[in-house]
Amino acid sequence: MNSKVLYRDFPILDRKIHGKKLIYLDNAATTLKPRVVVESLKDLYYFHYSNVHRGIHTLASEATNLLEDARRKIANFLNASPEEIIFTSGSTLSLNTIAHSLVKSGILREDSKVLVTTVEHHANFVPWQRLSKIYNYKLLYARPTGRMGTILIEDFEKFIKEEPDVVAVTGASNVTGQRLSIKRIREMFEKSILVVDGAQLVPHTRVNVKELDLDFLVFSGHKMLGPTGIGILYGKKEFLEKMEPFLYGGEMIDKVTLEDTTFNILPYKFEAGTPNLAGVVGLAKAIEYLENIGMNELENHIKELTDYAINELMNLDFVELYGPLDETQYGIISFNLDGVHPHDVAHFLDESFGIAIRTGHHCAQPLMLELSSKSRLDFPNATCRASFYVYNTKEDADALVEGLKNVKRWLG
Amino acid sequence: MMDLYSEIIVDYAKLKKYKKRMDDADTVKEGVNLSCGDEIKLYVKVQDGKIESLSFEGKGCIVSQASTNLMIERVLGESLENIHEILKNVEKMVKGEEYNKNLLKNVSIMENIRSYPNRVKCFMLAWRTLEDALKELNMD
Repeated sequence: MNSKVLYRDFPILDRKIHGKKLIYLDNAATTLKPRVVVESLKDLYYFHYSNVHRGIHTLASEATNLLEDARRKIANFLNASPEEIIFTSGSTLSLNTIAHSLVKSGILREDSKVLVTTVEHHANFVPWQRLSKIYNYKLLYARPTGRMGTILIEDFEKFIKEEPDVVAVTGASNVTGQRLSIKRIREMFEKSILVVDGAQLVPHTRVNVKELDLDFLVFSGHKMLGPTGIGILYGKKEFLEKMEPFLYGGEMIDKVTLEDTTFNILPYKFEAGTPNLAGVVGLAKAIEYLENIGMNELENHIKELTDYAINELMNLDFVELYGPLDETQYGIISFNLDGVHPHDVAHFLDESFGIAIRTGHHCAQPLMLELSSKSRLDFPNATCRASFYVYNTKEDADALVEGLKNVKRWLG
Repeated sequence: MMDLYSEIIVDYAKLKKYKKRMDDADTVKEGVNLSCGDEIKLYVKVQDGKIESLSFEGKGCIVSQASTNLMIERVLGESLENIHEILKNVEKMVKGEEYNKNLLKNVSIMENIRSYPNRVKCFMLAWRTLEDALKELNMD
């Protein structure tokens, strides 16, 4: 894969940051947008825009076709059927929808058990935790006993006998970059409802929901070259059909009387209100762009970059690296510099080298606690995080390493 | 760049003088920067309407640590009235408004914080915690 050619597709990469060429290593937070995605939004708004469904006029039918074509494309991408693809605003709303719908439907109730991990992003942690306080189901936590925040298969195994009703896990950690073995987890918890947070997984690899036998999968468009404000909730039809919607409103109804309301068919039952048409169209275009590159090529490119950067960073004795540092670590590297706070690292890299990394707790405070107990540093309850995507190169990784040496020299 | 990470600011960040527990404090106030998880515990001792002793525990970035040390140095021994005036001027300084540089003294070496809106929270953590501590002591 030639990242140099791809560069031309991303106008923002021509930007200068404090006089330096932008080196964008904050892809786990959000990815940059290729021209074709932005053009697809423009084309929609300029020439085909209308509200979807229930419209008789030409534009309404064009808009509806665009929405449903996109749904089919995304369904194909996941090997799902279109009625199992629900448009949301992002992974956060998708996860909230699943958790709330499960309790509202009585599938999760007082004697139920939900297993989550302590490496989750808050979006796959807080909804389950807060609802457990209200609905009194039991929350179980699988904790990472492996290297620096790495969760092992044994960490899950001890919960098999608990027979959790729901297992809600990340497909890949947004802090350590560790990919969890969803296949093994599925085998271990055959009877549980399996919810996978794919925010950091789907952008990097083809996830086949049928082959993995996932019950729910969520992800966000903006982390895979798509626009912000669009996300996907995949749900197995058999569950979606018996579940009470989380949001009520227009479009999701069948018949409304003073006594009660019946619901529309799938997937519309879970799509109250006017959908984010532009977001949907942009996401479908982004997926098309990624498929043109080839998901395998993309995956290999990013893995190669990750391994390369890890190796280089391991040579720096003042850097503490988190995560497994093995074949399961993918696209994301979290680290700290001995004696320099992450905020200062990020500030310095930006101003002196035009390098964008993210720092903080990465919406994963429980994981920060885990790392804190294992760190040999005065752990700042935060990490630096560099993350790669399709347009990044080895030169970017080299720039990071050089930048960090400078940071240490100045501030360490 | 070096405006915010000048030698003097880095030195202030590393100052150990005020970084300690105080067992006989009149109040102990904790402050948290929600955006990054930095925490500070401020120990305040007051005598005759003046800050007699002030120290802190906690960790954070250079901006927050330097700001805390500069704050302590500046407000030690000051009357509450003056501290309110100082707080007001610190607010003005970070907002990029006209402020009384003579009153803030050394604190103004960080006036460039105004150019970094993402770092203002780091800078203000100690000051907001002091403000809360004084409220708790009913001294505002």
